[in-house]
Amino acid sequence: MMILWLGAFGTYPEGLAQTVLKGKVVTEKGEAIPHATVWLGDAQGKVADEQGGFVLGELPNGSSLRISAVGFETLSTQWPAGLNEAYFTLAQSTSDLEQVVITGSFEPQSARNSVYQVRSIEAKEISKRAPMILQDVLNTQVGIRFSQDNAVGSSNMELLGMSGQNVKILIDGVPMVGRQGTSNEININQIDVNQIERVEIVEGPMSVVYGADALAGVINIITKKSSDNTWGLSVRVQEESVGSSYSPFTGDGNHQRAISGTGMVNNWNFGLGYSQNRFGGWKGDYTGRQYQWLPRNQDFANARIGLAKEAISLDYQLDFLHETVFTYGPEARLEMIDQNFVTDRWMHRLLGQWDLSSEFALSWQGGWTNYKRDSETWVSNVRTGEKYLSTAPGAQATIKYNGFSWRAMGNWSLGSKLKIQPGVDLNLENGSGERITDNEGMQDYAVFLTGEWTPNSWIQIRPGLRKANNSIYDAPGLIPSLNTKFRLAETLDLRLSYAKGFRAPSIRELYFDFFDASHSIQGNPNLKAETSDSFNGSFNWSPKIKGELKTSSVLGFFYNDVEDRIAYGQDPENIQITTLFNVENFKTAGTTLSQTFHYKGLETNLGFSYIGRYNLISEEIEDTPQMAWTPEVTANTIYQIEKWGASVSLFYKYTGELPAYQTVVDGGNVTAQEVKTDAYHWMDLTLGKELIPNLNLNLGIKNLLDVTQINSTAAGGDAHGGGSSRPIGYGRSYFLGLTYQLNK
Amino acid sequence: MKHLRFLPMTALLAAVSFFSSCSDDPDPVVVPPNEEGLIEVDGGGATYPNSVFISLRSGVQTPVARTTWDLAFSTGSDFKVLINGTTGAMASATDKTDINAVGATEIAAAEASGELVMGFTNMLGILHVDDAADPLSNPTIAAVSATEANNLVYLLSRGASGVDAKPWKKIRVIRNGEGYTLQHADADATTFTSLNISKDSDDNFVYVNFENGVVNVEPAKTDWDIVWTAGTSETAFPAATNGKLAYFYQDLVYHNIYGGTSAVAVLEETVPFAEFDETDVPSLVFNSDNRLTIGSTWRYTGGPSSPNPPSAFDTIYYVVKDSDGNVYKLRFLSLTKDGERGKPSFEYELVEAGN
Repeated sequence: MMILWLGAFGTYPEGLAQTVLKGKVVTEKGEAIPHATVWLGDAQGKVADEQGGFVLGELPNGSSLRISAVGFETLSTQWPAGLNEAYFTLAQSTSDLEQVVITGSFEPQSARNSVYQVRSIEAKEISKRAPMILQDVLNTQVGIRFSQDNAVGSSNMELLGMSGQNVKILIDGVPMVGRQGTSNEININQIDVNQIERVEIVEGPMSVVYGADALAGVINIITKKSSDNTWGLSVRVQEESVGSSYSPFTGDGNHQRAISGTGMVNNWNFGLGYSQNRFGGWKGDYTGRQYQWLPRNQDFANARIGLAKEAISLDYQLDFLHETVFTYGPEARLEMIDQNFVTDRWMHRLLGQWDLSSEFALSWQGGWTNYKRDSETWVSNVRTGEKYLSTAPGAQATIKYNGFSWRAMGNWSLGSKLKIQPGVDLNLENGSGERITDNEGMQDYAVFLTGEWTPNSWIQIRPGLRKANNSIYDAPGLIPSLNTKFRLAETLDLRLSYAKGFRAPSIRELYFDFFDASHSIQGNPNLKAETSDSFNGSFNWSPKIKGELKTSSVLGFFYNDVEDRIAYGQDPENIQITTLFNVENFKTAGTTLSQTFHYKGLETNLGFSYIGRYNLISEEIEDTPQMAWTPEVTANTIYQIEKWGASVSLFYKYTGELPAYQTVVDGGNVTAQEVKTDAYHWMDLTLGKELIPNLNLNLGIKNLLDVTQINSTAAGGDAHGGGSSRPIGYGRSYFLGLTYQLNK
Repeated sequence: MKHLRFLPMTALLAAVSFFSSCSDDPDPVVVPPNEEGLIEVDGGGATYPNSVFISLRSGVQTPVARTTWDLAFSTGSDFKVLINGTTGAMASATDKTDINAVGATEIAAAEASGELVMGFTNMLGILHVDDAADPLSNPTIAAVSATEANNLVYLLSRGASGVDAKPWKKIRVIRNGEGYTLQHADADATTFTSLNISKDSDDNFVYVNFENGVVNVEPAKTDWDIVWTAGTSETAFPAATNGKLAYFYQDLVYHNIYGGTSAVAVLEETVPFAEFDETDVPSLVFNSDNRLTIGSTWRYTGGPSSPNPPSAFDTIYYVVKDSDGNVYKLRFLSLTKDGERGKPSFEYELVEAGN
């Protein structure tokens, strides 16, 4: 937001200072801005005084000036011809409303200037959520729905009507590896929340830059980086009940402890962190040994070393996760069988940027991940009291994935209007383990070319092309994208984009076999990628600040058309076997609205979405609607009470009824039946207060409305039935947390 | 198999006869029923290859490989034929009565529809398997008609559930006096084999294997009470015909409804197993026309997407009345042995002796 007011005031007697130019830097209200930096052409700058005043000995080259100050938009202007005195008005930076984002761009830039519509959840909001897991941060975001897989104690995510397989989860731009392989159905709760600086969500395909699986969008988790402090220390303890079950610090309830430190020596900076989550599980309807929500222990450790010099920056990060999910078999008269799922994940990342010249810079994000998941089966003999590992076939199983990714991108500035950004993206992956047939692994080599053309001040055009070669499946041909942004007015931006997206078949879909009495399921190594054509658009309106009221509105709309969706079918060569094919179509469409208000200490975001998911049955039975629509409403509010150093935050989401259609066969008649998954309301409340300097207290209630499960009228979607209710939460939970943060 | 099983029984009978022959008691020799027992079922382990017939009063278990047989011919007054549900066999009527005339056309049609494939993609499956609860009440092969021209040729999948698939067969069954004649051949063959089968009223069924002819499978009908096996049952599925999917289960337990055994389930919360005695028997309604009374109700197995460990419920037990009127209470202890399925165990106690 650049609002410029230029003028000269005749209040000074003329002729008093013929050779001296006097300037003053002021806010839009005319108040002085102290210590602004004034740059004269290419020459060195001057610093304005306390009152915003500065003096120039002579007119700079071409009369051009650049004035910047913390908290304000930088102003590029010219000294008004013929005047000795001038006021320069800086517009207040809108950083409170619009943040810096990096996803999809070469380097961090103001969200408003990005051609992508990026939703960013900032550190402040994250801390107000007092999260134990990342889901606590995202559960009142519009367009995001979670489903719990309580059988394995993980959580799946859906973005704008598309399943989690189509959402690429990145940490600092590096794809994550999970139970199903690289970037497939990632359990976002296997991430240390204490390491997160902000979460950026881009809706719509980002396949040109991020490749496979960035079809519905990208969630890029930006970790905390070096700050300007010589050293820092942060300690966090949070105790939370799980519904009504709680015991202090261990056992029942939800317990988190975290400590991290940072340091800086010359150009080097260091970080070390450790977080511990102990989730005691929730029994729900069970009365015996079993849990509906499985107990889970998580330990996270991370280390970081960074070098920041003028032309080059390098950041090496190492994350370690050790997670154990405990499944307790029911009471039995003789043998009780328990299973533990033990995950170990090492993730190395190397991020960097090198400014080779003023025209050319290079950045890269590299990652190397080892993921290992053991399933252990334990037998307890009730009569003898012995406990031992089961020797049954398949009772002890391990799945391993190794993933390497390297994305490098150049940024070549050809004048002020054109930037060319070529890049390469390598992704190597292999998986092995129980039920996965031997395979050579997957190698994916891609090159891409994007660029940004800014022909004038109100148009930004960013075309992109990607070409990949994959060792296993037929990579889609050229993947194009076109993102545009038009500044329709000073306060109104329009973004329009088209992109092709694709989702690669996962190692599991290619190679996972499951055979038993009633199942003959086989991976299909001949699968190709699912592709989509996606159209996204948004209006972004940020009206001028009126008094203390700041608002911004984003109205978005999208349409996705997916082809060759991978679905189960019978193998024509052997109809006994169920395998996967590129057969289905899928579509999503919808609109989203986000409205933000800032008024004094009050910050509110209202969100709305209305999203349609394709009804596959409409292909067979024409009188059913093609799309099944569902609404969502969110209201997230933070109220700061400055004089008490306190805050009240309320996070709310209404997740609307989700309709779907299933076929019913009655004799020879096939009809469609509408089934519905119930709507529900979710609310979290946090009270925050600074107790003494650097020590903050958070207390509150999560799941205030005490939701546990919702019903679906769908009769068991598969032969294992049981799916008439879906777990949502474990009841109203209370938390109390302390955060100590010290920086020098 | 039958002979082997009879060995201990006859030995025992002989021994008892020997001792009792010393007395002057003119009454016939009666073997007292077992008072209690704990049986580890020899199901064969993780691949559950066996069906295991168990007699509670003798404590004898008879494991029989599920692949032993293909067809079971009813020995009752009716003329009915069952297919082998324990391998997931399925059958489909053709519109022909000449077995040699059935071939490529019928095979192609059945392959195209997938109707002879057991699984959750076959919406017609329920029409091609015997009734899960009472197979003789609704077998997939129509009762054998006295009018020979009414007996159609059937295509038969010998089952591929937990066993290796074999090539399809075509069969036709006609009456032969008080017995049956089975015509059978490979589905694409142009000649066939005939086999005459006579009923034996000591048995529930006469079992036939296409390669080996008449085979021993099930003990005499009064010599077993429950059988543990894998087998075809059904599960609710709205999109399937009649809302049911033919579905293959492990760890099913049938009681011998055709041999005079009846059974009923009791919840621990109603009467604890330990406290259950003969005074509780009169209020029970024993079931003798649904062999799934025990069925799969005694265990939890989840599915492929559920890694929850399989287990035997400790909340339910069963009361079984054998063909002699002995009433037992029976509870499953475990679905597994050392965590391995296919080796369940149960214990039982005599509640009331019969006649």
